[in-house]
Amino acid sequence: MSEQKIRGFIVRTDLAYDLDHHLWVDTSRSDVVRVGMDPLGVETSGTLAQLVLHAPGGDYSRGQPVGSLEAEKYVGPVVTPLSGRVIAVNHQVAKDPGLVGRDPYGEGWLFELTPSHPSELAELLAGEEEVATGFEERIRRYRIEGVLAE
Amino acid sequence: MATVMRVIDFGEVSPLRSQTLWHAIAYGVSAGSPPTLSFMRPSHPYVSIGFHRRLGELDLEWCRATGLPVFRRMVGGGPVYLDGGQHFFQISVPEAMTKGTRTQSIRALLAPAVEAFRSVGIDAHLDEHSEISVGTAKICGHAAGQIGSAVVVVGNLITSFDHQAAARIIATPTPTVAEAYLRLMREYVKATPADPEAFRAAAAEAYASELGLVPEPGIMTKLELLRLEEIDEQFQEPEWLEGSPAPVPTSVKVRAGINLSLTRTEET
Repeated sequence: MSEQKIRGFIVRTDLAYDLDHHLWVDTSRSDVVRVGMDPLGVETSGTLAQLVLHAPGGDYSRGQPVGSLEAEKYVGPVVTPLSGRVIAVNHQVAKDPGLVGRDPYGEGWLFELTPSHPSELAELLAGEEEVATGFEERIRRYRIEGVLAE
Repeated sequence: MATVMRVIDFGEVSPLRSQTLWHAIAYGVSAGSPPTLSFMRPSHPYVSIGFHRRLGELDLEWCRATGLPVFRRMVGGGPVYLDGGQHFFQISVPEAMTKGTRTQSIRALLAPAVEAFRSVGIDAHLDEHSEISVGTAKICGHAAGQIGSAVVVVGNLITSFDHQAAARIIATPTPTVAEAYLRLMREYVKATPADPEAFRAAAAEAYASELGLVPEPGIMTKLELLRLEEIDEQFQEPEWLEGSPAPVPTSVKVRAGINLSLTRTEET
């Protein structure tokens, strides 16, 4: 496991990312990926009050909702960064949504999926340097836009 | 890129339609209708429960006995009592028009409503919990959500508020807790009897100005009307009303920052 502190955020650089949806994807296993919320997602979502993930077994296309979350009375979708079948969801985060914020890369993971279109993996941000640069740029942009405070 | 903000005033509508109309509009905005500010008020009292909340938070037996329909909405927040003293407004915009964190998006879409309240003589402000308040009392119930690719923020001008009924719909473990809840609600939720027509006009102006759009009266599209019929059905299905399982709450909320626990009052 390798991680870097990038402009105040601890980022695991050995994982792949869908930065637009603020998701990390662990591709270390051959046929199953684990998905969670990245530190910028945690920061911009606010304090999660509710998190519901659909029961495992469903097939989804990339970008489709696999559940929903609520922070500050705002309900939004949890989407999948890859097409495939959800084979497991983390029931602990439904019971305690704060777990996502407290341990986004560990106990706060969201769901596991069997990708149906492995070619989509190439569209994720991956590689130690690329991930670090991607986060660096995204954080800089968010700070310029006032999304994140210094 | 939208240049127009559609404004639709539905006037008085049935309890069901006071929920389903704006959901259908949000789906319309998601499918390409212009950003829309809509208004309506319910003809009869009813109860609405947030997307993730447990039905068990409500005293359903009492709701049934008093003929209060219960509908689950697609936006957040808790269970609420709604009646004709509450004049609803909803702003629906494409997600791409929102910026920043969830908190920033909600605050940006509530700011014009605050301006509208101030225009009709109410000394409203958006507090640190993103509640529209006068002093420490909440004066507008709001909620938000993403419906399709539209973001909708809903709220209300409360010209009169039935605290007793609003507190009574909530399931409380003992009469003492029920009394405490009612007392807190009287203290922290207030009506602001302003002219609803003037409020609507001010809201249209403020939202159009904030979004950089021209307000124009409009009607629902064919697609929205079709969607409306579907949502009417969906909202009356027992499975929809039941909702997704959510954790059992340990407290009931009076307003953001004021929660009543099962055993003690806490201000968070």
